[in-house]
Amino acid sequence: MNNESPLKAVIVVTTTAFLCSVVVTVAAVMLQPMQRAYEDLERNRAVVAISGLTDRAAELSDREIVTLFQELEARIVDLESGAFDERYNPGTFDTWKSAGDPALSTAIPAKQDLAKLNRRSRLVTVYLVKDANNLKRMLLPIYGQGMWSTLYGFLALEPDLNTIADITFFEQAETAGIGDKILKPAWQASWRGKKLYDENGKLRLGLVSEPADATALAAVYGVDAISGATITVGAVTNLVRYWFGPHGFEPFLEAYRVGSVQ
Amino acid sequence: MIAQARDALLNPLLDENPVTRHVLGICSALAITNSVYSALVMSLALTTVLAFSNVAISLIRNHLPNSVRIIVQMTVIASAVIVVDEFLKAFAPDTARTLSVFVGLIITNCIVLGRAEAFAAHNKVGISFLDGIGNGMGYSLLLVTVAVIRELFGTGSLMGVEILPLANDGGWFEPNALLLLPPSAFFIIGFLIWGVRSWKKAQVEQADFRPISVAEMEKR
Repeated sequence: MNNESPLKAVIVVTTTAFLCSVVVTVAAVMLQPMQRAYEDLERNRAVVAISGLTDRAAELSDREIVTLFQELEARIVDLESGAFDERYNPGTFDTWKSAGDPALSTAIPAKQDLAKLNRRSRLVTVYLVKDANNLKRMLLPIYGQGMWSTLYGFLALEPDLNTIADITFFEQAETAGIGDKILKPAWQASWRGKKLYDENGKLRLGLVSEPADATALAAVYGVDAISGATITVGAVTNLVRYWFGPHGFEPFLEAYRVGSVQ
Repeated sequence: MIAQARDALLNPLLDENPVTRHVLGICSALAITNSVYSALVMSLALTTVLAFSNVAISLIRNHLPNSVRIIVQMTVIASAVIVVDEFLKAFAPDTARTLSVFVGLIITNCIVLGRAEAFAAHNKVGISFLDGIGNGMGYSLLLVTVAVIRELFGTGSLMGVEILPLANDGGWFEPNALLLLPPSAFFIIGFLIWGVRSWKKAQVEQADFRPISVAEMEKR
């Protein structure tokens, strides 16, 4: 057949496109389990990093991370009832994936949707760090819309379930060099010791732009803004306020604090 | 036959180097040459893509309609790049994250389409494969040279191992932070091209035009 005939062009283009898509699909499908495993490992590394079990999680080998991760007690929380849900295996349950599952997720009322998520999973995996049955830390997943990307992270609470022990993010694509300063250890350290709720149980955590001028209130509940990264940092504060608000972990934390949930 | 194979493989290293001779593939050479390790991974990725796309395009060269040849070549190249990217994400996720978009941008690397158009579309499979490997190595050679200069004088180390003791840690070497920024690669590549062309005069291009002097202007 003449190479320049329109029919030949259509045949060549279609065949090439088909063969190429087969090659790409086979590669993507076959390599996906390995890519997933690395993603899970990075997430587990972030969990271990704020568990208080080690202070050098970034240097630990993959195997050491897995060993430490298995020391944590994974539980699934039903955010609706504020109680633990024992029906699912916390080792395999995927909080983030189930946000897209109508049976497992719920719509977030627009007024409360500070994290700009639209939907979230009803069930959420949390991790308890225990020492001879005493709670040392509780690690809770937090996520929400940043400036360009969805920020995924964990927040660690002290046993009073009010004081922040640590915060970390394991996935983000904020502006390089500006918004991604939320990954800096110094900024994450500025969260330590801040409190979420006041004596009356009201959520007070917020953003302060001038830590030098810190009033007593700002020193207890205020998180440092980063100049130039106001939108990202504001988004972080908002998503923390969402997750620890009445539509997030607040009912569960209250129930756990008074001991009605074990 | 053997001479032809040797030429296809070795000419792109210096005499026909895609970067210094043809000034192609500059964008990625600027972006990822601040560490030798990422330069090596990028070199490997580009060489793989180049060899694969050259073979694939050479295979279909007799059936490529002229009117749609570029789009067919791009489809083949893009697929090869996606496959390489998926492999990197599965086996070297940290490096894949450092190289970020630049692996994907191999699709637009002029060397790949340039070799497909100029060589693979007119030559047999075996020699096209060698041409791909050769040009990949030519690109790698330049990339690694630039990366060695930038990492050594920008951070005092190579592949993350300290070579020059830093003044900060009690040594004597004061690193030049400019070398870690993309513009420094421009200077280094510029000097390399100058050096190669001073040595191999045949590579010097004819000037497109010659500015006239004031004296000549007045004479007219």
